Amino acid sequence: MSILADLPISLIVLCSGLGLVLIGLWGMLTQRNMIRMIVGFSLTDTGVHMVMVSIGYVTGGTAPIINDAVPMADAVNRVVDPVPSALVLTAIVIGLGVTAVMLSYAVRIYKARKTLMIDECTESKW
Amino acid sequence: MVSSFFSDILLHPLGIYVLALGAGFLIPLFDRAHRGSAVLVFFAALAGMVAIAGLNLLAIVNGAPSIDIETAGIAPPFSINLRFGLLEGGFVLAVNTAALLAAWHCLPALRQHASALLLFLIMVMGINGMIMTRDLFNLFIFIEITSIATYALIGMERTGSVLAAGFKYIIATSVATTFFLLGTIFIYYQVGTLNIDDIIVHADLIQGPIGFIATLFVLTSLLIELKPYPANGWGLDVYETAHSGIASLISVGVSAGVFFAIYKVLPLMDSYLTSIAFIGGATFLVSNIIGLKQDNARRLLGYSSIGQMGLLTLALALLLQLEASSQLVLVVGGLFINHMLAKAGLFWLAGIIDRSQLKDWCAIAQRPGLLLLLGIMMAALIGLPPFPGFWAKWQLVMILAEGGQYLWIAVVLIGSLLEAAYLFRWFSHARGTDNNSMGDSSTDEVPPQAVVSLAQQLPVAIATLLLFVIGYVMALAMNIETPGMFLPLLAGFALWLIDGIRGRLKALAMLLVVGAGGYWLTNDLDGINRLFSYLLVGGGLLVSIAVMYRNDDRRGFYPLLAVLLLSLAVLLRAKTSLEFFFGWELMTLSSYLLVTLGRNGVKPALNYLLFSLASAYFILAGFALAYAASGSLLLSDLGNSGDSIGLIFSLLAIGFVIKMGGFGVHIWLPGAYAEADDDFTALLSAVVSKAGIFGLVLIAANLGVQSDIGLDPTYVLGWIGILTATFGALMAVFQEDIKRMVAYSSMGQLGYIVTGIALMSHLGWVSALYMTVNHFLFKGILFLSIAGIVLRTNERMMYKMGGLIKNMPFTFVFTMIAIIAMSGVPPLTGFGGKWMLFNALMDKGWYFIAAFAFFSSAVAFLYMFRLLQTVFLGQRKLEHAQLREAPAILLAPQFIMIAAIMVISAYPRLLLDPLSAAIDPWISNTLVWEGFALQTQYGYWNAPMIMAVVGGVWMVPLIILLLVSLTMKIQKVEQFNIVYAAERPHRPEDTHFAYNFFAHYDRAIGFLVRPRATAFWNAAVEWSHTLASSLRVFYNGNGQTYALFILMYFVAMVLFNGGLGS
Amino acid sequence: MIKRIFIFLILALMAMIFFNLATNYSENTELSRLGHYYVETGPEELGAPNLVTAVVVTYRGLDTLGEVTVLFISAAGVGLLLRRTRRKDDDEDLEQGDRAEETAGTHKPASEIVETATELLLPMVILFGIYVFLNGHLSPGGGFQGGAIIASGTMFLLLALPESHISRLMIAIIESLSGFSYVIVGVLGVIMAGGFLDNRIMDLGTYGSLFSAGAIPLIYVFVGLKVGFELSAVLDRFRKEDTGPL
Repeated sequence: MSILADLPISLIVLCSGLGLVLIGLWGMLTQRNMIRMIVGFSLTDTGVHMVMVSIGYVTGGTAPIINDAVPMADAVNRVVDPVPSALVLTAIVIGLGVTAVMLSYAVRIYKARKTLMIDECTESKW
Repeated sequence: MVSSFFSDILLHPLGIYVLALGAGFLIPLFDRAHRGSAVLVFFAALAGMVAIAGLNLLAIVNGAPSIDIETAGIAPPFSINLRFGLLEGGFVLAVNTAALLAAWHCLPALRQHASALLLFLIMVMGINGMIMTRDLFNLFIFIEITSIATYALIGMERTGSVLAAGFKYIIATSVATTFFLLGTIFIYYQVGTLNIDDIIVHADLIQGPIGFIATLFVLTSLLIELKPYPANGWGLDVYETAHSGIASLISVGVSAGVFFAIYKVLPLMDSYLTSIAFIGGATFLVSNIIGLKQDNARRLLGYSSIGQMGLLTLALALLLQLEASSQLVLVVGGLFINHMLAKAGLFWLAGIIDRSQLKDWCAIAQRPGLLLLLGIMMAALIGLPPFPGFWAKWQLVMILAEGGQYLWIAVVLIGSLLEAAYLFRWFSHARGTDNNSMGDSSTDEVPPQAVVSLAQQLPVAIATLLLFVIGYVMALAMNIETPGMFLPLLAGFALWLIDGIRGRLKALAMLLVVGAGGYWLTNDLDGINRLFSYLLVGGGLLVSIAVMYRNDDRRGFYPLLAVLLLSLAVLLRAKTSLEFFFGWELMTLSSYLLVTLGRNGVKPALNYLLFSLASAYFILAGFALAYAASGSLLLSDLGNSGDSIGLIFSLLAIGFVIKMGGFGVHIWLPGAYAEADDDFTALLSAVVSKAGIFGLVLIAANLGVQSDIGLDPTYVLGWIGILTATFGALMAVFQEDIKRMVAYSSMGQLGYIVTGIALMSHLGWVSALYMTVNHFLFKGILFLSIAGIVLRTNERMMYKMGGLIKNMPFTFVFTMIAIIAMSGVPPLTGFGGKWMLFNALMDKGWYFIAAFAFFSSAVAFLYMFRLLQTVFLGQRKLEHAQLREAPAILLAPQFIMIAAIMVISAYPRLLLDPLSAAIDPWISNTLVWEGFALQTQYGYWNAPMIMAVVGGVWMVPLIILLLVSLTMKIQKVEQFNIVYAAERPHRPEDTHFAYNFFAHYDRAIGFLVRPRATAFWNAAVEWSHTLASSLRVFYNGNGQTYALFILMYFVAMVLFNGGLGS
Repeated sequence: MIKRIFIFLILALMAMIFFNLATNYSENTELSRLGHYYVETGPEELGAPNLVTAVVVTYRGLDTLGEVTVLFISAAGVGLLLRRTRRKDDDEDLEQGDRAEETAGTHKPASEIVETATELLLPMVILFGIYVFLNGHLSPGGGFQGGAIIASGTMFLLLALPESHISRLMIAIIESLSGFSYVIVGVLGVIMAGGFLDNRIMDLGTYGSLFSAGAIPLIYVFVGLKVGFELSAVLDRFRKEDTGPL
């Protein structure tokens, strides 16, 4: 417990994020069901978002919003980096868009082929 | 404010985004109101995007500074900025133009759904953004915009296979972009900025394992998007199944955006340039190998696309590595624009013709317009002149040679050759493998032809036009002599315009055009070039008179013939190696197409093209080495190449020898000669083959003598020549097909000439040039005679002929004289040539070669005799009783050539003196004349006297025989007085004495002429297919395997570039 | 099986690469150059206390416009993919599948608790969404977050009343017009202020008040509406296949 407590908080988030990426990749590579592959992608995507957030963390920082708690004059030393937060916002929306399109592909593939197994969709090859 | 609105926003590069997004957001509303209005808005926006890119690029080309677009009113790096410079502008304009054409192509599909319209528009905008943005994360956004729009558009046609392909594509690209995001955020972690320029300035902050991995993540994910081998199965599936318009946009548009993105981040990747080059090169080579085995047109285009992007990547990395970034526009820009227009055009053609299997493409065999478009696209794609790819590839090879990157030159050239192999195999299918241009016995059913409207062809036609225009502009940039070098194409185009008129009129127009053009191109030449201009252009015209013996339509024949003959003039006119190569490739392309016009000519033509291209690439490599060594493109500077002169000579000589059908690489020759149109065979043998001799003389003169290199290459060349002569003669002996026989004979005769040139002595060269002229004369006569015989008998097998002397006396006499001139017996021209060659060989001390020459001359008698005897003498076939003499127009050029043979035979000095003078600049004259006799240490040659003596020896028996036949009664034997003696032949040829005429020799020496070379090349083809099969095992169709390969790519990139330790 | 081992091998190598990243990572102790600039000058320059919003809407406004575009095209893409097959010749087997699906899929009605809760909560959810995007420049939140909350209201509705009708026309109009207006606001930035998407086309107003920070609230209104309706449209399309044009 003490080891964990000594670790910088952002490193824990970073490692969790990277772990999530790996789990997601494992899912995408081993799960034959397309829906599960999409879940895998979502996990990977979320993992990357966690990594992004952890990168923006500054030791002891708080949310980059200037208010009573964070006066403008001292803000530079008090807040975390707003850039990764902004980036992650964008990345989340993009991940959502990709996931939505993936899911509609899955719906359509099921309609057309009555299967969701990726290894049954191999007629184009070589 | 209105004016500033226009100038600041709409016409500003920013207007591209405003237009695309504004129109994109509003299209659903317009669609609700009226479907047509949505389409209108869509096209207006796309056209606007083209116009904005065009106008701004024009301004920059005219000297305006590149445009930096800042957003948010705050200077970068604190806000996102975009850049529109020369390169960006070029790419954006190209992509938008291609997109506009692609939109036209897939309008029928797009207009079904308003969302497809807006997705297309925004996809194009996304590509524009990828090219223009200078912010790493913004680049990610634009990649994703493009990707998502692409995903949706792939699924527009919702068949099972396209959906499966699309899903694999999504999985693969989303893994790649995920890693891009990871790389980006870690770069931000180290540098604290996202602006690419700012990152480059602070590149030193990217360090340690994090920097290393982050950089590789960014780089690899972009490379993955370019579909490198083997992590590209997902791309191939989409190329194969998606709508052709969408596939074309992925191939040329999305790839362009990603490629430009790589170019942008490359300053961060200095240490990985070798890896990048390797990935590009491997992808180029492997894709083209695998393409050899592919039978699906669309998937083949996929392989070609991937290969071309590999080539682009290779070129980019190597150019940067060699610090030749000033050449980027010409090389990378040229290759890119070439790939873009040609590949998109091919995708569109594949879409409108809609035949998935290559063999079904005979559906356009009867559609000359479509065939033309297809051929142009393919020629452009493999870098034939005058298209942009030609200039770019030339320049690339020159730069690589300068940098000593010989291995990469080999990769580029081998890959190009492989690509040519499968593209033109496809073209052969489209051309239809069984066309009968004589119009006889064509009872075969024509396969149902594709129905294609002009509107559908429009985008392809525009792409074609652009290819020509840009090719011309690049020619100007390369300081090529224009318009002279483009005259062949211009003439061909003009004749193509009048291709609808009657056959003979077209032929006449062609002769006039070539005459005028040829004169204009060659009248200021001097020396040996002038001599060759008489032979190639004048001689070409002379033989071409015979084409008028046919009055049928012959679509495409006359324009192509004009291109061919004038490209020979261009060849002679060339001052630089580039101009020479331009003319050479033009000659290759036009003669290939002409061979395809012959009966069953398509398959042999493909062989011909591939060997010709291989020859051209050897020549290119030779020129490149010479340029690297001497720093000059002038042909006259070839000799200043220092140490590498032997290698240069060898490469160039190999190239020219292939083109002349040298021993071992001759297998294209008999097929091409035999199956080409009969009058064109005469041109091929008598005229076009001389281009190779000209090349050989050129390099022998400029490389061999001046710098006095070691004799090794020339000695080898001498042997190659004589072996060609020997085996050509041997193989001719065993032929049944009259055209094949004379084709082998032609190959053999050229062998003597090669040996003559290889002698590098005055007498050797004189004999070679003399034999060249002689070869032109007798082969012209022989093939034109054969054209007449084939015209009348409709046969090529000699055992189906006989006794034609009665029907075709003139043809008989001409053939006989030609054969005597060829054989080297006194008194005609052949004797002098052989005599001088033997003298020169003895002088040089090449006794073994002389022995071979002697042997092959003897062998040649066998087939020559057979030609005369089998065809003209003996019994006439019953069905040939009514045959007439060949048409006068076919006989006329033969008659002129006979006259020339006679004059030269009697007065060889008329020819030898100018030849000797032309050689003089290089080797001083050693010919010693005494009156009419040519003296050497082994004896003398007095041609007029020989002529008189032999004439006398002939005349005496002739007169006696005439007297006998007039005075005595001779009983005439009726035909077919044959008793079969209870034995009925099962095959008609068994009754003919001339069938398998030399069976006894076959038993004795036949083992020498077994088709070993053919077997070798067949085995090579077989082997390449096996290789292709094993290289493509990765493409098992499983999306997860593809995703796995992508991960492997990342891991491999990290491991190969320093592993985890650094 | 070999493939499995291979996957494990690759993932293990990947893990080693990631491990390398993590062990060499050390937490930032101060802001990056970019972050420093934004925190230091952002509030005054743009008048938005929420610096993430300042970055999202103005400094990296082009990203946000792109993000809106991404959402727009994924909604369009979902619509394109899930459209109902209209014409007979357009993949016939699909159509059969469609019909079978329709007849088979009778929805079970939601429980009374869910229905009632939805009726109660829906107005509040939507109100909260609007609150979040209107106050995006002041407090955590913004257009995307607000839009997502609105869409979650739609989700409630679809769960509780699966048969409820959502007007496609309304969605299309709001979607298109808010997107177009966003572009117009961006263009106004070029004409009236420093550049594309500059929020200072309007008065920055009193720092910290609702109507301040220039055009940021306006942009967030457009973004919020657009996101809310687009996500709703996506949800709706997954519920049943598209029946009409977009």
